[in-house]
Amino acid sequence: MITSASVLFAVFFALLFRSLQLGSYDHMFRNAIESYTGYIQVQHKDFWDEKTVDNTFPYDSQKEQQILSDENVVAAIPRFESFALASNGPQTKGVLVMGVDPEKEVHLSKVTDKMVKYRLTEESIKKIQQDPYIPEKAKELAALFENAAYTTASRLQLDLGINDKDASQYMPSIERYTEFENGTIQMGEPGVWVGDKLSQYLQLGIGDTIVLISQGYHATTAAGKYEIKGIVKLPLPDLDNKIVYLPLDICQELYNAGNNLTSLALAVKDNDDKVIAETVVRLSTVVSEDQKVMEWREMNEVMVSQMDADNKSGMIMIGILYLVIAFGVFGTVLMLTAERKREFGVLVAIGMQKKKLASIMTLEMLLIGMLGILAGAALATLLILYGVEHPLIFKGEMAKMFEEYGMEPKMVFWSIDTYYIWQIVIVALMVFLAIGYPIRKIFGMKVVNALRA
Amino acid sequence: MNTMKIRKIIFSLILMGPALMIFSQDLSPKEIIRLADEKFNGEKTSTSIMAMTIVRPTWERTIEFKNWTSGRNYALTLITAPAKEKGQSFLKRENEMWSWNPTISRLIKLPPSMMSQGWMGSDYTNDDILKESSVVNDYDHQIVGEEEYDGRLCYKIKLVAKEDAAVIWGHQVRWIDKKDFLFLKSELYDEDGYLVRTELGSEIKTMDGRLIPSRIELIPAEEEGQKTIIEMKEMKFNEPIQDSFFSQQNMKRVR
Repeated sequence: MITSASVLFAVFFALLFRSLQLGSYDHMFRNAIESYTGYIQVQHKDFWDEKTVDNTFPYDSQKEQQILSDENVVAAIPRFESFALASNGPQTKGVLVMGVDPEKEVHLSKVTDKMVKYRLTEESIKKIQQDPYIPEKAKELAALFENAAYTTASRLQLDLGINDKDASQYMPSIERYTEFENGTIQMGEPGVWVGDKLSQYLQLGIGDTIVLISQGYHATTAAGKYEIKGIVKLPLPDLDNKIVYLPLDICQELYNAGNNLTSLALAVKDNDDKVIAETVVRLSTVVSEDQKVMEWREMNEVMVSQMDADNKSGMIMIGILYLVIAFGVFGTVLMLTAERKREFGVLVAIGMQKKKLASIMTLEMLLIGMLGILAGAALATLLILYGVEHPLIFKGEMAKMFEEYGMEPKMVFWSIDTYYIWQIVIVALMVFLAIGYPIRKIFGMKVVNALRA
Repeated sequence: MNTMKIRKIIFSLILMGPALMIFSQDLSPKEIIRLADEKFNGEKTSTSIMAMTIVRPTWERTIEFKNWTSGRNYALTLITAPAKEKGQSFLKRENEMWSWNPTISRLIKLPPSMMSQGWMGSDYTNDDILKESSVVNDYDHQIVGEEEYDGRLCYKIKLVAKEDAAVIWGHQVRWIDKKDFLFLKSELYDEDGYLVRTELGSEIKTMDGRLIPSRIELIPAEEEGQKTIIEMKEMKFNEPIQDSFFSQQNMKRVR
């Protein structure tokens, strides 16, 4: 029973740990890809190594049609991306300027979904605190999250610690107090959207003016001032801290870049690694000589290697977990053998063959091990299946801590996959190894000594 | 006795004669540099209209600007073309440098760290344009020879930066026309003695009564296919300009 339990724990924790880790990677990539790079981009061949506005290519609708005719490409989203200094009075910061076509962006970054809808401003917190119907705890939490911005009401509800069943009672008034009005940006109309963190750093709000200075196409001066029409909150805090969205044509004008683009981001039908790789190969023959096709792995190289490193350390963690568990299993087997020494001795003394005893022992151990593995896997599966639907979302101080580390306060489970087999195989192997001990003991047993034990 | 004395005097005269002649004609290297510098920049003030062409391996573009200077301490530059950049101005007052950009109505002070960066994307540094350092006062000068350049006989003068001078070059070698004191060729080296750029003066013309090279070509040593060409369209020297002309208010007004 104890052996069974320790195997159960081994399988359960290893699976859970792995599921969380893989799930978080996937989530992070998805965030990066979907809010920024996309799965595939067409760029000027030198742009990736030297991201200057001189390494751009003119927009060519004929080429675009050719690219769009590929079976896996859903949409081609033109972008103009560069760096600039943004300033508001004495506050200055280097920012990432992204010229986008807001209508086409719907296919990929869905930036309109990331507009800030609610914000706990000083004023709104005051209103919440003066409302006698709102619970005290929510009032306290509201003060803790001063200035936090939300793209969905559910996240706001979570941060304020309001249960789902109370939501209909409190949320409408809270939503009313914290409501945040955004304007739109459109092609041909000067105006910007800025990241929530950036807007806080520069102390800018809706209707304020942001000044951008940079170097434009062919070393011209690029300078412009724009009204802030909206605030976005991106799930990547790193990006949220430096992003400025401009309408594509306004951005091209700012950089004196004619109708040049830095990239054409492609929305794809199937994002499976293999399909993406095939699409890249196909597209490489379509694009002109001075362009190249890049996939998300290349574009998120830093993140990929970060994940790799994290994956390795995760493996070490699991390795340690296995070691501890292996000793646990071994320990219980050891004890079990010692306890039953006399029993074994009696069995052999009354005429049982050692071979037979060993095979009975093996069967017994295997049964126990299997029971543990199956129970552990079943338990983990239940939890993981639930977790896939309901990712862990941290709130309160924990959420703040996550954001300070540049991560989204969310842990996602990875659904059942090949990693399952690996964990089970490894634990099974441990059980097999542990079986070796009682068997050796049985064969090396001196009946007289055993009987006396 | 007498003949001895006479002979001695004659002898010494013969010896000293050429030396005297050299002395009367020869200027100190510092003086030569000063004359050449003033010839180009004006003894007191200068007003000029120039065009700068930036040449890069895959593209080139031209910027036109007006430039006013007064002595070492004051300078004002106004971009007049292309249209998108028209109205930008740069001001130098003593040790401070400012830039005005009308599209964003912002006056920006350039930090000293930006002095060695390219001006308007050219190979000229901010320091070159605003003449922060002085070829006369910040260097020790030495004549290292005479050479012919472009059919003109030139002094070849080596300028070594003074220890405490705030200059970006380690040393320079300049070829200066012996007759008209014109900078015809300059080689600028960094602190480690590597050639960083060459400046060539050509198309010598008379402007406001002075003979000066109207085209200056700047060739960075390490960037292949890159250069910057400055053409003087108009130059006037020593017209009275008040110091108050070089003000932040005027940066926004000047035409």
